[in-house]
Amino acid sequence: MSGRVIVITSGKGGVGKTTASANIGVALANTGASVALVDMDIGLRNLDILMGLENRVVYNLVDVVEERCKLRQALVKDKRIPNLSLLPAAQTRDKTAVNSDQMKKLCAELKELFEFVIVDSPAGIESGFQNAIAGAEEAIVITTPEMSAVRDADRIIGLLEARKDEIQQYRLVVNRIRPQMVKNSDMMSVEDVLEILSVKLLGVVPEDEEIITSTNRGEPVSGTDNVRSGMAFRNIARRVRGEDVPFMDLDVQNNGWMSRIVKFFSPATRV
Amino acid sequence: MQVLNWFFRVNNDSARSQAKDRMRNMLVHDRLELPAGRLEMLEEELIAVVSRYFDLDSETTNFDLQQYERKAALIANFRLLRSKC
Repeated sequence: MSGRVIVITSGKGGVGKTTASANIGVALANTGASVALVDMDIGLRNLDILMGLENRVVYNLVDVVEERCKLRQALVKDKRIPNLSLLPAAQTRDKTAVNSDQMKKLCAELKELFEFVIVDSPAGIESGFQNAIAGAEEAIVITTPEMSAVRDADRIIGLLEARKDEIQQYRLVVNRIRPQMVKNSDMMSVEDVLEILSVKLLGVVPEDEEIITSTNRGEPVSGTDNVRSGMAFRNIARRVRGEDVPFMDLDVQNNGWMSRIVKFFSPATRV
Repeated sequence: MQVLNWFFRVNNDSARSQAKDRMRNMLVHDRLELPAGRLEMLEEELIAVVSRYFDLDSETTNFDLQQYERKAALIANFRLLRSKC
C-alpha cells in the first residue's frame, strides 16, 4: 500500500489544528479508509485527549524514532473505529527529539500500513513545523477569519509554496466562522479570506459549542450525526477522498419575508 | 444611494471591510518583505525621474500596490502635462 501523507498546519496556535486533525481522521476512517493520526506536537501532546485515548498511550513517536519499540507497538487503536490508529507525541521531550530525515522515514513506513496518514503539526514555523511537513505530500492549512490567523496562514502558504517539489497540493479550511457576524459585516467572510490568500478552499467549519462538549467526552464531532461542525468535517473528508461535495448552506436560519429578500441579494455563506 | 447602500449592507467602515483592507495591505508588504517607508522612497525617485522628461500634474499622480494571485504589482499613474524637451 502507498497511502497519502497529509499534514495539518496553521502557523498560529489555537485556530483548531488538533481539532481538525482528530475530526478529519475520524471522518476519513468512517468512510472505510485505514487512517493513522500522527501527533507531531512533541512536548505538548493533545491529540490523544481529543480522541479519548490518553489512558491507552504506552509508547510514543520518539520511542519509535529512537528504536525503543516497534511502530506497531506505539500505535494506539481507536476505541470505536478499528481502522483508525493514533501515534502519540512524547510529552516529556521537545521538538529537537526528532529530525526531518527521521520523520521522512517514519511517514514512509506509515504509508505502507495506512491509506491516510494525518500529521498534526505544532504551531509556529520553526523546526517542529519543518519536521511535521518533512514526510508529507499534501497539506491542509487551517485558519480562522481573524487577521492574525490569516497573516500566519499566508506565511505558511509561502513556506509550502517554496517546497512545491515535496508538497504537491495544499488547500485551506476556514474554521470557526460565525455567519451572523459576517452578515452584520463585523468579521471577514470565507470569500474575503480566500480572495486575500488566493488559495483553494477545502472546507468551512462553523463555530460550534459542540466542539467543546465533544473534546470533553473524547469523541470528535465528525463521528456524531446532526452536528453542523461534524457535518462540515465529514464533507472535508469526502473532498479529501476526491468526491465533489457541494458547500453546505451556512446562512443564519431566519425565514421571515424581510430576511428572504436580503438573502436573495447577498452572497450565501457555505461550508 | 445611501438608502440602497444601507439596504444592501455595503458599508466601507465596517469592521469586516477594515479588516480586509488592512489584511491586503499587510500581506503585500509581508510577501515582498517590504519595510515601511521603502515604497515611499521609490515613489519619490520615480517622480524625480519622470519629472526630468515631463511636467507632471502632481495632484493626480498616484501609486498603488495591488495583489494578483499571490504576486504583487506596482501600479504607477502619472498625469503628464507637457514634455520638457
